Amino acid sequence: MTDRMTDTTTLLVGPFNRVEGDLEIRLEVAEGRVTAAYANSPMFRGFESMLRGKGPMDALTLTPRICGICSISQSMAAALALADLAGAEMIPNGSRVAQLLHMVENVSDHLMHFNLFFMPDFARPIYADRPWHGRTVERFTAVHGSALKRATEARAQLLHIVGLLGGKWPHTLAIQPGGVTRAPTARDKVRIGADLAAFRAYLEEVVIGAPLEVLLELTQIEQLNGWQTGDFGLFLEISDNLMLQTSGVGEHRYLSFGAYPTPEGRRFVPGILRDGTAGELEPAGIIEDLSHSWMLGPDAHPLHGQTLPDEDMREDAYSWCKAPRLRGESFETGALARQAIDGHPLALALSKEGSVRARVAGRLLELARTQVEMERLLAEIDPREPFMRHVKLPQDGEGVGLVEAARGALGHWFRVERGEITSYQIIAPTTWNFSPRDRSNIPGPVEAALVGAPVQPGEDTPIAVQHIVRSFDPCMVCTVH
Amino acid sequence: MGQSDGQIETFYDVMRRQGITRRSFMKYCSLTAAALGLSPSFVPKIAHAMETKPRTPVIWVHGLECTCCSESFIRSAHPLAKDVVLSMISLDYDDTLMAAAGHQAEAALQDTIEKYKGNYILAVEGNPPLNEDGMFCIIGGKPFVEQLKHAAEHAKAIISWGACASYGCVQAAKPNPTRATPVHKVITDKPIIKVPGCPPIAEVMTGVITYMLTFDRLPELDRQGRPAMFYSQRIHDKCYRRPHFDAGQFVETWDDENARKGYCLYKMGCKGPTTYNACSTVRWNEGVSFPIQSGHGCIGCSEDGFWDQGSFYDRVTDLTQFGVEANADKVGLAAAGVVGAGVAAHAAVSALKAAQRKTQDKKEEA
Repeated sequence: MTDRMTDTTTLLVGPFNRVEGDLEIRLEVAEGRVTAAYANSPMFRGFESMLRGKGPMDALTLTPRICGICSISQSMAAALALADLAGAEMIPNGSRVAQLLHMVENVSDHLMHFNLFFMPDFARPIYADRPWHGRTVERFTAVHGSALKRATEARAQLLHIVGLLGGKWPHTLAIQPGGVTRAPTARDKVRIGADLAAFRAYLEEVVIGAPLEVLLELTQIEQLNGWQTGDFGLFLEISDNLMLQTSGVGEHRYLSFGAYPTPEGRRFVPGILRDGTAGELEPAGIIEDLSHSWMLGPDAHPLHGQTLPDEDMREDAYSWCKAPRLRGESFETGALARQAIDGHPLALALSKEGSVRARVAGRLLELARTQVEMERLLAEIDPREPFMRHVKLPQDGEGVGLVEAARGALGHWFRVERGEITSYQIIAPTTWNFSPRDRSNIPGPVEAALVGAPVQPGEDTPIAVQHIVRSFDPCMVCTVH
Repeated sequence: MGQSDGQIETFYDVMRRQGITRRSFMKYCSLTAAALGLSPSFVPKIAHAMETKPRTPVIWVHGLECTCCSESFIRSAHPLAKDVVLSMISLDYDDTLMAAAGHQAEAALQDTIEKYKGNYILAVEGNPPLNEDGMFCIIGGKPFVEQLKHAAEHAKAIISWGACASYGCVQAAKPNPTRATPVHKVITDKPIIKVPGCPPIAEVMTGVITYMLTFDRLPELDRQGRPAMFYSQRIHDKCYRRPHFDAGQFVETWDDENARKGYCLYKMGCKGPTTYNACSTVRWNEGVSFPIQSGHGCIGCSEDGFWDQGSFYDRVTDLTQFGVEANADKVGLAAAGVVGAGVAAHAAVSALKAAQRKTQDKKEEA
């Protein structure tokens, strides 16, 4: 290859396996380190153009098809946006069912990410001389590892809840602006309770290796050092050995739209976090920058944005993805951001670390916290109360729906004139995390986090880069849509 | 990959190697027979075929899509069927699951094509966009449509998973910004099995693929190219709410008393009367439920062009989509046509009454 001491080499990494959708990353490498990274989302489908001219209710069916793994997040965002258009809210009992459905999906996504997408990288031959390698091969070899099998089974059973309440998963239809179509009976509650209990047992036995409450009471990173149980313990051992606490460090700017709106408020609160300082979330300050994406038109707030693909794929752009910025800054979003902004002390500490380890640990912490929330929500559902309220949509107006998908902040913004959608804009979590550069040439979060990653001689798909990219849990199908 | 001399192992070898016990293997054979609607006498035949036949390699590729088909297949199916089928197909090439990455992955695809020329099944999830020379979906630096054509060239048969590959699905909805095109319009010289649905039911997917792997032939297809064993009946035909339809008992608004009683969702826009799929028999998420059971009407996601047939919440009255081509579904069309006519007649009566009322009002005014 090139002399690494003097030259800059360019590496094109991709297609990436074990991420949802298609992703390519161009790396500039000098002296064995990444000096610049450019993330390209090479798939474009044009959902935003298809929605124009349709009746607003069709958004409930169309937008979930953006993504087969976070379809409930899309339906939640669409339902909230429609309710917003009507100036209405979900009926409390219906809202609880909808949030329970959403939690189940987010939890399933975290589980799949850890077991199927992230951990299998450590079972590769490149790590054969590490003390943990044998155990990791047994647990996490792609497709065949014992942990993968168990996770898939646990998830299938958990998804019974979505089957029961939503009729089918993926692409559930039950969530509506006024509530949900299915009124669960007392008997359904018992069945759901059994599924949740089984899931808790799985988490405690296999993933965390301890009662969830023990993990939830941790406040400092140092307390993780002694954690040896469960697959979480194995991950921490690997992290320590490979120094993942210093790998892929981000820019310490986090954003969360706040997860699970219920009558009692959002279960995980919205906000931003800049260098450890908490702030208010002001969605009015969001602009989608198009300077480096193959999109035409002015930069705009999503309520006034357009989706006009640049069919010439101009030279100075490199991705179909737009670059969302909040008051001119890029933000990282996801489980770590959500938990830190919600104020969990361990997550706050991890957010200061901002590394590959922090993102993955944040996700597992959230798994445990969400399990507890699901149990609480179920107890609050009252089968005798109504689950749906009639919502009449006006012919003209606008609506905004902000939710948290597993991978982070998801927003729908749309306008309606004479009963037809005239504009529908979506910003997905990976649009934030994998955004290209903006007008001031500021890189997106993953592009920034990749700088400094080591590249071993002869590596054409650097393993460190893969860990960093996967630690964000990208969902490329959502990114561009 | 086990074998190096081009000699392919049998299914049974593969399963054993994957740690599946003899007992589980026999159970799998009975499950398969049941799923395919075959009598128990077929169980030993299936077992025999799997013990003696060389495994059929499968290559699984992804175009414009949302991965929901994979999700349905991998994560919701009966664990045993899923394990078995997955262990067979994952030996070859699948983007989302494979261990390798980047160029290695591309090389693995090429190797598989070379090694099993003319012998493998190509499973396609999603579809190719043709606008801008296919640049809206790029795999390994090349448009997906090229990968698809290349992989299809030496395939024995092609499975079009889901509504995307079969009909274009959501990305082909008007105005179809990327000119997303179903597989059979790009590949015209190979047998294609369409398994529509958004996504298809997991058990239907495993059923179809197991049938092909076991019997080494295509399942019986209807005129639209769908496996007759799963797509020959309308959701409506086997819907557990059908008696309420026949009795004229309908849900009028969401979560009304009738909804809680589980009345028919026809008036809420249910497309069950015109949709051919196995949802009402096989059901979803390991047989737990299906959309109608959860109180929401069917949206007809396994039918061609289901996006552009007006609102999902309008009643089925306009059935012009079937006029496009005459097909095996004519019988169903006729039946649904009757339903449509009934509603139209009802609407006409109401209109008439309204007109009468207006006339009366005018008379009173006069």
